[in-house]
Amino acid sequence: MMRFENVKFKYPTNSDFELIIDNFEPKGCTAILGENASGKTTLGKLAAGILRPSSGAVYYHGEDIAGWKLGKIGRHVGYLFQEPSRQIFAPKPLEEIALPLELRGMPKEEARELALALLQEFELENIVNSTTFTLSRGEKQRLAIAAAMVMKPRFFVLDEPTTGLDKPRRQILAKTLKKMQADGMEILIISHDRDFVEIMGADIRRMEGGRLLDEKA
Amino acid sequence: MKKPDPRVIFALVFATSTFAILIRENLAQMAGLFALVLACAALLRVPLKQLFGRLKRLLQILLFVAILRSFFTPSGLVLLAAWGLPLLTTGGLSMGILVALRLLVFIVGASIFTIYPTRALIQAMVQLRLPYEIAYMVSIGIRFVPQMAQELRDSLIALQLRGIVIEELKLKKRISLYSYLLLPTIVGGLRHAKELAMSMEMRAFRAKPSRTSFFSLKLSSKDVILLILIAVAAIAGGFIL
Repeated sequence: MMRFENVKFKYPTNSDFELIIDNFEPKGCTAILGENASGKTTLGKLAAGILRPSSGAVYYHGEDIAGWKLGKIGRHVGYLFQEPSRQIFAPKPLEEIALPLELRGMPKEEARELALALLQEFELENIVNSTTFTLSRGEKQRLAIAAAMVMKPRFFVLDEPTTGLDKPRRQILAKTLKKMQADGMEILIISHDRDFVEIMGADIRRMEGGRLLDEKA
Repeated sequence: MKKPDPRVIFALVFATSTFAILIRENLAQMAGLFALVLACAALLRVPLKQLFGRLKRLLQILLFVAILRSFFTPSGLVLLAAWGLPLLTTGGLSMGILVALRLLVFIVGASIFTIYPTRALIQAMVQLRLPYEIAYMVSIGIRFVPQMAQELRDSLIALQLRGIVIEELKLKKRISLYSYLLLPTIVGGLRHAKELAMSMEMRAFRAKPSRTSFFSLKLSSKDVILLILIAVAAIAGGFIL
């Protein structure tokens, strides 16, 4: 579904770092482990089209996404930021999920019904009337995932999804992701948390100095 | 070239910004003032290429403001008319350019401060008799700007990744969308400010009524000459206006 081919990427502000990936095709559930500044988040952002390769290409279903607008990529690929509060913009959870649907022309009532169903699916019905900015980190994260799921992406990138979550919350997250995977979604997890990616049964790869190592971690 | 004392730059930016406000109609004077500020910034090795690169969107807004202003100032020769009504005149065009140049004088002038470390700017403000708390707040405020810009960019990316092609939205929807995006940035900014204030209190900020500083700025003879030049130029400029 997603394929990296001879991808090179350099930040304009950091000439010391270069990400080089010859060939990478994440399938099912894939996890990228590695130390800080090894290029994990950069890889995730390239997969979601937030960053574009300096050379080479990222293909989605055989099509180079270089010319795609971010909005078009978002209809196929979901992305969870390392800090979920950075991707929550509406003051109410229902609005957070329904707004993109309304912006795409869905009638308000229908969008809100769908949003409510999604909140229930993610066990967030108790926060319907809360203000998003006052939610706990775990709630914000589940809300961010629910909001990303509304577009029914077929590929989901999660950047450090377990940061700040306690063990029970991690288990809930793993359960949610496994269900999503069972529904046919492919998942790319960027993490430091080996225990979590093992629970997920992910194909674990290791990154070091901007290179994806060949051997399985 | 050794950088002048930051207080010299404060005097320069204060003088040029004041003149940018005082020049009301004379386009040649405003163009001259802009050229002067630009030359000073170039001499002080402000990365102007980078600055204008970052300001691409703002330059578009400036152009829009200039055009809008030109439509509302009918004087001089009519360049564009519809149904007998003058839409664009030479006077209006000149006024639009003047407004854009005025804003550029402020922006390029302020960019000169970026060549100094924050500590030097705080010290300059303190030695100009500004209370330390205010000087420190100003420096923190400046430090927050890129962070808030990043948060705004992240919100915009997150929204697009939910399948929204912003360019396809109608203007009304687009405006309401941007108002949504501002909210988390403002809330985030307030939260950061609160946390930072608590952290400063924990480290006994303002525990003593006055502060001493090992680092202090001294005006060199070159700085004094520059200050005199700025003062003379400001007085001469006042007479010309």
